[in-house]
Amino acid sequence: MKVAYFSPFPPERTGISEYSELLLPALRSRVDVELVSRGGSASRGADVCLYHVGNNPDAHGWIVEALRKRPGVVVLHDFVLHHLVAGLTLGRRDGEGYLGAMQREAGVPGRLLAHGVLDGVVPPLWEVRPEDFPLAGEVLEHAAKPGGGLVVHSRYVAERALASGYDGRLWRIPHPAWPAPGVATAGLDGDPLVGCFGNLNASKRVPQLLEAFARLRASRPSARLLLVGAEAPGFDLAGRLAGLGLEGVEREDYVDEQRLWSLMAACDVCVALRSPTMGETSGSAIRALVLGRPLVVSDTGWFRELPDDVALKVPVDEHEAETLAGALELLAANPDARVAMGAAALAYVAREHDLDRVAEAYVAALEEAAGGDAVRDVVVGEVANAAAAVGIDDPSELAARLNEVRLGG
Amino acid sequence: MRIAVCSPQVPFSHGGAEVLAEQLVDELNARDHEAALVTVPFKWYPGERVLTQAFLWRLLDLEETDGRPIDLAIATKFPSYVVRHPRKVVWLVHQFRQAYELDRTELGQFGESPEDRALRRAVHRLDRETLGEATRLCAISRNVADRLRRALGLEAEVVLPPPQELDFRCDGYEGFFLSVGRLDRAKRVDLLLDALAADPELHVVVAGEGPDRPRLEELARRHGLDGRVRFAGRVGREELADLYARCLAVYYAPVDEDYGMVPYEAFLSEKPVVTTTDAGGPLDVVADRTTGLVCAPRADDLAHACRFLLDHPDDVRAWGRAGKAVAEQVTWDHAIDRLLA
Repeated sequence: MKVAYFSPFPPERTGISEYSELLLPALRSRVDVELVSRGGSASRGADVCLYHVGNNPDAHGWIVEALRKRPGVVVLHDFVLHHLVAGLTLGRRDGEGYLGAMQREAGVPGRLLAHGVLDGVVPPLWEVRPEDFPLAGEVLEHAAKPGGGLVVHSRYVAERALASGYDGRLWRIPHPAWPAPGVATAGLDGDPLVGCFGNLNASKRVPQLLEAFARLRASRPSARLLLVGAEAPGFDLAGRLAGLGLEGVEREDYVDEQRLWSLMAACDVCVALRSPTMGETSGSAIRALVLGRPLVVSDTGWFRELPDDVALKVPVDEHEAETLAGALELLAANPDARVAMGAAALAYVAREHDLDRVAEAYVAALEEAAGGDAVRDVVVGEVANAAAAVGIDDPSELAARLNEVRLGG
Repeated sequence: MRIAVCSPQVPFSHGGAEVLAEQLVDELNARDHEAALVTVPFKWYPGERVLTQAFLWRLLDLEETDGRPIDLAIATKFPSYVVRHPRKVVWLVHQFRQAYELDRTELGQFGESPEDRALRRAVHRLDRETLGEATRLCAISRNVADRLRRALGLEAEVVLPPPQELDFRCDGYEGFFLSVGRLDRAKRVDLLLDALAADPELHVVVAGEGPDRPRLEELARRHGLDGRVRFAGRVGREELADLYARCLAVYYAPVDEDYGMVPYEAFLSEKPVVTTTDAGGPLDVVADRTTGLVCAPRADDLAHACRFLLDHPDDVRAWGRAGKAVAEQVTWDHAIDRLLA
């Protein structure tokens, strides 16, 4: 079987490019993969296309355009695609396209809101309310076509796709785990050393983290907070630190792979918060689990699905910073709990995120997508012919039985 | 309890799985249950026929019959477990192995076309749904349970089936090895013939019938084994018991076998078993140099193993007796107790 593979790849700096860099060798050891370069299309010999779709229009716009031309299996890395759709429409001066997408999502009220955005009287929805208008409809529609299907990483996204009316093939394939890196631990102080990895912005709950860390630091002056990642425009970390009078915060900008692992390995606790969630899985959280680091996460989306013995979950509410501080204090005061969580994390990663198992699941999905329609047509046709031959003119029970055992479609 | 024991049939063929289902019915009836065998013909080719034939089981209504409820359905091998029942116990003999561990081997069925690949996956989905809905999931061997876990992530309790009832006895240790089983390539009788070619003092009786017989007879001719191998064909119960009673040891080394009754039948006749390291289920019961010999699946290694037994009659007797002690612990009382738990 030949798979045409559409994804951003390094040097593009996205979580999905790192994802594909990890997955591709394991997939290539099992099936024939042709990489489609930016703007390209699948060769005629490809049996099935695999489209990695995320919310970044620069990284994924061309992939959605290819999906429009030929259906295939869509890996939906984010359920909320508002930013992507805005880029594909408004970003190309296609106001009507944006109006249509919003109308598809939310009917006439959606279209009216979109008009407000176009007229500049409503702030950009992809910035202020993306979770209310995910705009995944068009991508899901293409995925549901014959020869297609949908891969998601979490039950959360699976449920949202089904709730939005998606009725095609659906596979939940966990994010694969990187192999343990075997790097030296960075020499950093901190008792405890709390790490947060990824872009610094509001949706990563960095303001709440800073506030929680300030509380921790008040009782534990030797605590350190390590923030690794690029600062979002306008985030003003320095101003926030000054406002809190907060010390003990270490900063590193974007770091390479080795340095990332090395820094993460030095942390006593890793924090991966997210709200609003776009439905994404966190590569940083997976890496922390690979290293057996205790995790503190938001009680949202995919993060909520992590087992309780590997992650403490912080609800996103008015007590968020206080609860987060409590979680950090709990872990700081209990080295045994950190060790137990670390061991549970390693076991969980081996059980749920094993790279080979993930690659096998991809092959199964791709094989089902490539030939499944033909198989279904033959089976249903043969059953229908047999039923007709004996005069069964109400095939509803037959259909129910076929669907029970997933032979109906 | 009224129990439907579900087992597919391949018309004009009768093997270990059929014997097991029939025995289960008899043993349930002997214990004050009311059991009946429910069977549907199965043809697994060409193409999608494997699915449409399996689907026939789904259309059966086994919740009641003749106005009386059926309390329990016990399904055995693929595709009988596709059947619907509110209390469905699966005693898994095997799945459709061509879709699993035999795929892309010479014993496989599915090619490389997208349709064939998808067909194989459809069998997996069918299994996942219909085995997953069972109220109780058991397997006839550790090997079958392990395969199920690896392939579908489902856990099954191992419930070993006792061998068929024969007049098991030991009348001595004559100088021949016995091979018992259907003659198809997976049973790997050709390996035994190759071993015979390597040691001119080895003699074999091959009991069983099957599609591989012409090829095996031709192989025997090519090896010049006249007089040292006898193809007995399908033998009756008395003759089978007699062969077990007289042989020196029993050869049983299929490729990754599900379970296989043969080792237990050999043990009950106080005969050691020669098997191979890749035989699967037999390795659950044949312990090297305790109840038999386990060798690499190569003709020269097998010939050496057989030669060892020829030259060491005391070990043959001791290992045969040890095997009998193992086999006597596998009883119908225990099996039924676990199936109905």
